[in-house]
Amino acid sequence: MAVMAEGPAVPEEARPKSEAPSRERRSQKGTEPIPADRRRLNFRARLRRDRSLIIMITPVVLLLLVFNYLPMFGTVSAFEYYDPIYGFFHSNFIGFKNFTDLFGDANFWHAFQNTLVLSLVQLVLYFPIPIFLAILLNTVISTKLRSFIQAVVYLPHFFSWVLVITIFNQMLGGAGLLNQFLRRHHMATWNIMSNGGMFKYLITFQAVWKEAGWGIIVFLAALAAIDPALYESAAVDGASRWRRTWHITLPGMRGMIVLMLVLRLGNALNVGFEQMLLQRQAVGPQHAEVLDTFAYYYGIGNGNFGYGAAAGLFKGVISLILIYAANKAAHRLGEDGLYRK
Amino acid sequence: MSSTNAFTRRGFLTASAGAAGAITLSPLLAACGNSAGKGGASTKAGIQAVLPTFKPLAGGVTPDIPVVSGADGAMTNPGFVKYPTNLVKTVTGKVGSGGTYTAVAPSWNPIPPAGNAYYAAVNRALGANFTSQPANGNTYNTVIPPLIAANKLPDWLAIPGWLNPTFNTGGLVGTRLADLTPYLGGDAILEYPNLAAIPTGGWQCGVWNNRLYGIPSYTDGMDVAGAMLYRRDLLEAKGITPAVKTAADLMALGKEVNNPSGGVWAFDDNRVYLYQVFKVPIGSWYLDNGKVKSANEHPQLLECLDFCNQLAKAGLLHPDAVAGVKTSNPSRFNAGKVIIIGGGLGGWTASDAETGSAAKPGYRVGAFPVFSSDGSTPSIGLTSSSGWVSYLNKNLSPDRIKECLRIANYFAAPFGSYEYNLINFGVEGADYTMGPDGPVRTTEGSNTAADNVYNFFSSAQAQVYNAGYPDITKDLEAWYADAAKYAYKPLFWNLNITVPDQYSKIAAGTELDDAATAVSTGKQPLSYYQEALATWKSSGGDALATWYQQNVADKGLS
Repeated sequence: MAVMAEGPAVPEEARPKSEAPSRERRSQKGTEPIPADRRRLNFRARLRRDRSLIIMITPVVLLLLVFNYLPMFGTVSAFEYYDPIYGFFHSNFIGFKNFTDLFGDANFWHAFQNTLVLSLVQLVLYFPIPIFLAILLNTVISTKLRSFIQAVVYLPHFFSWVLVITIFNQMLGGAGLLNQFLRRHHMATWNIMSNGGMFKYLITFQAVWKEAGWGIIVFLAALAAIDPALYESAAVDGASRWRRTWHITLPGMRGMIVLMLVLRLGNALNVGFEQMLLQRQAVGPQHAEVLDTFAYYYGIGNGNFGYGAAAGLFKGVISLILIYAANKAAHRLGEDGLYRK
Repeated sequence: MSSTNAFTRRGFLTASAGAAGAITLSPLLAACGNSAGKGGASTKAGIQAVLPTFKPLAGGVTPDIPVVSGADGAMTNPGFVKYPTNLVKTVTGKVGSGGTYTAVAPSWNPIPPAGNAYYAAVNRALGANFTSQPANGNTYNTVIPPLIAANKLPDWLAIPGWLNPTFNTGGLVGTRLADLTPYLGGDAILEYPNLAAIPTGGWQCGVWNNRLYGIPSYTDGMDVAGAMLYRRDLLEAKGITPAVKTAADLMALGKEVNNPSGGVWAFDDNRVYLYQVFKVPIGSWYLDNGKVKSANEHPQLLECLDFCNQLAKAGLLHPDAVAGVKTSNPSRFNAGKVIIIGGGLGGWTASDAETGSAAKPGYRVGAFPVFSSDGSTPSIGLTSSSGWVSYLNKNLSPDRIKECLRIANYFAAPFGSYEYNLINFGVEGADYTMGPDGPVRTTEGSNTAADNVYNFFSSAQAQVYNAGYPDITKDLEAWYADAAKYAYKPLFWNLNITVPDQYSKIAAGTELDDAATAVSTGKQPLSYYQEALATWKSSGGDALATWYQQNVADKGLS
């Protein structure tokens, strides 16, 4: 029940200034934020003016309605012993029984705890990497080399998790390349793939390997929007490379970093369903059970759809609170967050 | 890691039905919904009153390896070393009377094109317009519930036993599915000789609430969870003739053949197949001094988990088995990376031999004769006689039900009959040619007739035949004949039970299965399982046992 997928983020700087006057400018001039001509037009005229835009957005809105909003009515099953034979309307309604069972279920709280820990580890170890990569890549001057590196780091994004984990297992698994090499040379083996304590670092490493390259795209866009004249002036003034990065590059990216952080927090309880599902048995549920796999195994897996829906609904509510809080925090810090205040 | 559809039909049938039954639920167990809200089961007398009369078919083909009777009603399946050359006709007279029927069954093969020549040939033989609509077996659990919800069930529907809880078969019978008792109960079945030759255990799987609803397929005279299989060719190459009589023997053999630096390990994860060795009761429940208890708390289960844990700790398990990585075609066992594996006997087939021989010529599988952990007289529990039952729609008129049953009688023609050949291989020349080892499918036949879809609506007692691999048939039949001596029927055997809603989560026992896996693969100590068990019992496991006690055992239903 993802509240928000990692959304298409249009860099602030890419928008025409005239359409979205910044807050600073508004306060300086003290004018109305909404352009005067927009207020004068009536509904029909505006409809005519925005016709092409509305037509373009309609399929997306329909998709959103059908696949995101309609299924929300299915959450009613969280309050039922849901049975597909009888459907939503005729299954036995049991009020909050699924939730009381859920909150009394130690396995559920364990999954919740795992989710938070894994999310935190991923936030600390994964989130900064695409930013560093983007800054590094931005310093490469040769376009050819740059495109080559981009192609190489984007590629793993297109592999499925099944493939990625199989590759990891072939390399680092108990019967994989590394351990067979160690065995043949009479050295102690190190089975990383089924080591519970290492699991949180392993999955973060896998996520970095697969997704970090892809994650740099938005940051590269933010970097491209920084005026090169700033760097030139700074260089003329004698600013070192570090000072230029600190005082120009990072402030230029700040809006994007905060936006991605807000989105990331909204997604904090999504720590990679497929990745966990595939490796759950390798380390056991005590290390790999997260809310999504919990809902899958205890809900869908054995036909207790209502129970799974309750777990999913709980997760959705927490995610909503998280994204709301993160957005509020972004506004407090003077950033835009998900939308301009 | 990825699960593929490497199962053959029979392989899938026995492997999943057997394993699922052994791990958590009896595959016949059904969670229930509204109308059947309170749950329950049939009575002994009720079942006896509706069961069809068993009458072996006169004039059928004589098997090369005859049926052997064992303990507690267990019977081996007939075995055929060669394909019969003189096919007998078992159905005379008109079958259908021109009726039109749609029928839905799962399929794990590419769906054949509709209206193909093979379907047409079967329809000509039936004298009816029987349209089978195979649905993807991997998503069958999600394809059927919408049909149920929309009240759009086909005329004839196949329900695998392990999907009874998902489909709530207990709630469907009588409301959506037809009561066949008047047509098949007692001597009424004698009108359909091929159906009457299906062993009684199979029919028992079709009884719900004291009425007969289902028609069984692939009924076994004795179905078991599986056996401990080993690579006979690899052990022979090392000059080892295994004589495993106890758990200690098994571990000693494992240590002898384990060779990690060569990439070869002794065992896969064999937990559920070692239950038999440790005499853990099969199914989910057992009686302890008249008291129903969960097999999850049986003392021997702890012994078994402890033993598995020792195997894992000793480094005898393949690391990928420890990590839960699933591979098939070839499996680790096929590829010779694991020497000993527990497995469903449905997987010990000609097609397995072909996969194994492709990896290493000379591939040969053996099975340890049933043994017990401490060397005492072994025992082996029977699983349900049929994992596949089909049902007719309640809206069919009596005449149409009779027509369907005549069609079912045709589908249930035994191995070696003209009808069996048509159903399973199609038309000679077009769909298959007769080779020295029996029928060989043509490309056309592989695309259409290989799906065996009609067998899911009704089929004769299972037989053992492996084209081109008579040794497999002989080895398998010898194993069964030995095992039959030690067979026993577990508590609630072949009994369809409907459990009330509030117990469905606890009955699934996901947390216990997880904990048992963690212990048996050496990731957690035995105490980890004991803790999970204590939680399970207090959070509803004991209440569920009490429900079984009061609603099934005390009423004399078992």
